[in-house]
Amino acid sequence: MKASVSQQSLAHGLSMVSRAVSPRSTLPVLANVLIATDEGRLRLSATNLELGISCWIPAQIEEEGAITVPARTFSDYVNTLSGERVQLTANMQTQSLNVRSAASTSDIKGIDANEYPPMPAPDLANGVTFKAGELKEMIQQVAFAASTDEARPVLQGVMVSLRDGELTLAATDGFRISVRRAPLAASLAKPLEMIVPARALTELARIAADPEAEIRLHIPSGRGQAIFRLKDAELVTQLIEGNFPDYRAIIPRALKTHTILTTAALLAACKQAEIIAREGNNVIRVDVRGRGQEPGVVEISAQSEETGNSEVQLDANIDGPDLTIAFNVRYLREVLDVIKTPSVALETIAHNAPAVVRPVGDENFVHVIMPMHLG
Amino acid sequence: MELKRIRILPDDVVSQIAAGEVVERPASVIKELVENALDAGATDISIEVEGAGKRLIAVADNGQGIAPDELELAITRHATSKLSSAQDLFSIHTLGFRGEALASMASVSRLTITSRRPEELTGAYVRVEGGQVREIERYGGPAGTEVRVEDLFYNVPARLKFLKKDTTERQQMIALVTRYAMAYPETRFKLIMEGTRALQTSGRGDRREVLAQLYGVDVAKQMLEVQLVDGERRVQGFISPVALTRSNRKEITLFVNGRWVQDAALVTAVLRAYHTLIMVGRYPLVVLFVDLPPQEVDVNVHPAKAEVRFRDPDQVFSMVQRAVKRALLAYSPVPQVTRSFWPASSAYQGWSEPAWEMPGETRQEELAPEDGFDGDAVDIEGGDVPEGEVSATAQPGLDGASPLLRLVGQVGAAYLVAEGPDGLYLIDQHAAHERVLFERLMRQRDSGVPSQQLLHAETVQLTPHQSALLESQLNLLGKLGFQIEAFGPNTYLVRAVPAILADRDPAAAVRAVVEDFEEDETPLQGELEARIAARVCKRSAVKAGQILSTAEQQNLLRELEQCQSPRTCPHGRPTMIHLSVDLLERQFGRRGSR
Repeated sequence: MKASVSQQSLAHGLSMVSRAVSPRSTLPVLANVLIATDEGRLRLSATNLELGISCWIPAQIEEEGAITVPARTFSDYVNTLSGERVQLTANMQTQSLNVRSAASTSDIKGIDANEYPPMPAPDLANGVTFKAGELKEMIQQVAFAASTDEARPVLQGVMVSLRDGELTLAATDGFRISVRRAPLAASLAKPLEMIVPARALTELARIAADPEAEIRLHIPSGRGQAIFRLKDAELVTQLIEGNFPDYRAIIPRALKTHTILTTAALLAACKQAEIIAREGNNVIRVDVRGRGQEPGVVEISAQSEETGNSEVQLDANIDGPDLTIAFNVRYLREVLDVIKTPSVALETIAHNAPAVVRPVGDENFVHVIMPMHLG
Repeated sequence: MELKRIRILPDDVVSQIAAGEVVERPASVIKELVENALDAGATDISIEVEGAGKRLIAVADNGQGIAPDELELAITRHATSKLSSAQDLFSIHTLGFRGEALASMASVSRLTITSRRPEELTGAYVRVEGGQVREIERYGGPAGTEVRVEDLFYNVPARLKFLKKDTTERQQMIALVTRYAMAYPETRFKLIMEGTRALQTSGRGDRREVLAQLYGVDVAKQMLEVQLVDGERRVQGFISPVALTRSNRKEITLFVNGRWVQDAALVTAVLRAYHTLIMVGRYPLVVLFVDLPPQEVDVNVHPAKAEVRFRDPDQVFSMVQRAVKRALLAYSPVPQVTRSFWPASSAYQGWSEPAWEMPGETRQEELAPEDGFDGDAVDIEGGDVPEGEVSATAQPGLDGASPLLRLVGQVGAAYLVAEGPDGLYLIDQHAAHERVLFERLMRQRDSGVPSQQLLHAETVQLTPHQSALLESQLNLLGKLGFQIEAFGPNTYLVRAVPAILADRDPAAAVRAVVEDFEEDETPLQGELEARIAARVCKRSAVKAGQILSTAEQQNLLRELEQCQSPRTCPHGRPTMIHLSVDLLERQFGRRGSR
């Protein structure tokens, strides 16, 4: 293989794929990045066998071929190069890659590209298209609610469902659930449901830099994986098998107290309370008190034996009976972080029943948090 | 003083002495009656227990029944239909043969037998009290036999005193019936314990179904099937994969020719097959049925027939070991490791390697290079540090506060290295976290432990034995922040968990806590709560093998510093080892050698 590429696009491409490199794998080749010529461009790929990322960068190719080199070494080295162009030459005898730029040159030892797991090729004609910007926002609003507990793989995923002309993303860790909907541009022949690892979607959101671009999703049949194709990049992920909790049944309907607050003020109050509460169990109390015609008051308080206590009072529009409810403040703060509307609604039933948080004026997002119970 | 003369004991005394061997406790009554029913060819056995077996044990079957004229004979000692000559003793095909069970029961209880042979129109009814027949009359009821043992040991107060707690007796009965249900999957078993159904099987011949009732569906699904046929000898049953273990051997159940036996040698054979595959101190779940030609087994060893003797013990031993080993190998390695979504092409088959590697081991290798450590550099054991000088901190005067510690890093994904004012500290991350959580939980207990409710309740299926244990501790678990409700037989709904357990699988947490109950069923009442708290913390603490971020490590150290007794975990193990400046200097030869 012999090719010449721009240093900038090579460095950018490497930073994109290196998130899929598994440095601690038992299979040495997985710590490497695959560099291969591909129809006039250079393809960079990395995979940890659960998540694979490829990207294509423009290149002048003199000789076709492929090689793998240690991702960390290669990308660290490329980042330091000062020249505008980088000349890559693979030596098949020694399985090493010569990297030459301006006055510097180096030979990096690699592993035969044939040892690299083959990447599946998507069937692009068959698939669904999303707008990158919107999908990215949806992922940000949902993926954080997924569990990090490896003992419950299903909850480490995001339920992606395409049906009735709508795309729905849902994630839960058993204590809260985040659901976001969006209309689909084109309707599908048959509905589709799959559980995608939250981590893969977070990576997808990260590599989808251009909000106007398109992302095409393809599910090869019978392989338990999903392929997301962007303009110059591709992400392949293993799907999670199992039964996702029925989130439609979890979202409560008969809500009693509707409280409208300023998103930014509530978020700031939660951040303050969290500083005090984090030494305890992250517990905060939310006191909702209506005052007839006047604006009501929501008091957020935290108390910790080690740290001390704090209170914040917020003006709010309250409709319904007064209530005191306790939450894990992290859950509340994390959802407020992804709510874009200036006002947010906190809808409650009782101190021991699920509470709903939703942006005011956006019907497509809903978040449910289970309260805490104080002894 | 009265002269003591030698005389032949009256009949009732003789029978009570003999009864002691056979009928030791309520569970043995059930065992004898169930075996009788099975010998009678019953396909439907229902058992009812009241007052933990002391008030009533009733076993009804649909077997061949007892003829009315033989009924009175049946309750006399050494009367049986299962054996006629001494020769038969060496090839016993039935479960019973001694002809003692009914007589023994009759002498220590109020016994009634109602029986009708299917081919006859009427049967008979007999009532016996303390071995004396009180009543006998014709009876026309359903075909089969029902034996009711009421007021067990009413005339043997000494025996009554030696019975265990009611819950323990109940657990033993449930355990027994479940085991028999598994051994005889073609027979429908129903066990009604104090008015509620504790067990019911369909009798469809599916052992896995019974297994699911015994261990819960999840576990039953994972169990591996054992099947080894060697001529007339057979070993079949189920064993757990290496990833599924328990902390005691109680779940190793062995049947020989349809009899539940306790045989240390066979248990060893099973464990031998698992050797090196599971951690020391963990035991598999095993239900094995060994079938041998009757003449190869001597069952006439123990009055309750819990022990057997083999004509060729080595052969049986090796057959069991081979059967278990073969099943283990056939199913391992656990396929999860190769979670490749790439088609398994030739190049990648090499790493379908054991999934049961202990996390500590692999991670250690993986971690070392990244942290810039040479694995050997921190090898303290290999060095010349004399054991006595690595103080395990139980030193007097040190039991107070922890020194201020500065984090250096993590070693082997299990220990933290920290610098204190007087040298180097190695901290066991699991033990340290346990201590931190324990003190937090105990502090909160007075003001009420905050618990996090679950979005949708998780169901936990337990074995009948485990649910009895859980049932007895529900109150305390409630105080510690668990909210658990009964939901059908042996099934529970977890609605909330203590806040410190959030982020972890709630069902697994409950199961783990219950499993710990099993290890030690009779904790001292006074410190019960602290014990449970310690158990909860043990389960939720970070484990050895878990890689912690620098922030997490620092946080752990800081929290440990704030603990009241930071130097031991709630179970008494040390949390830290101290290598003093002095020791280090001497080891490096900077100061006069020892």
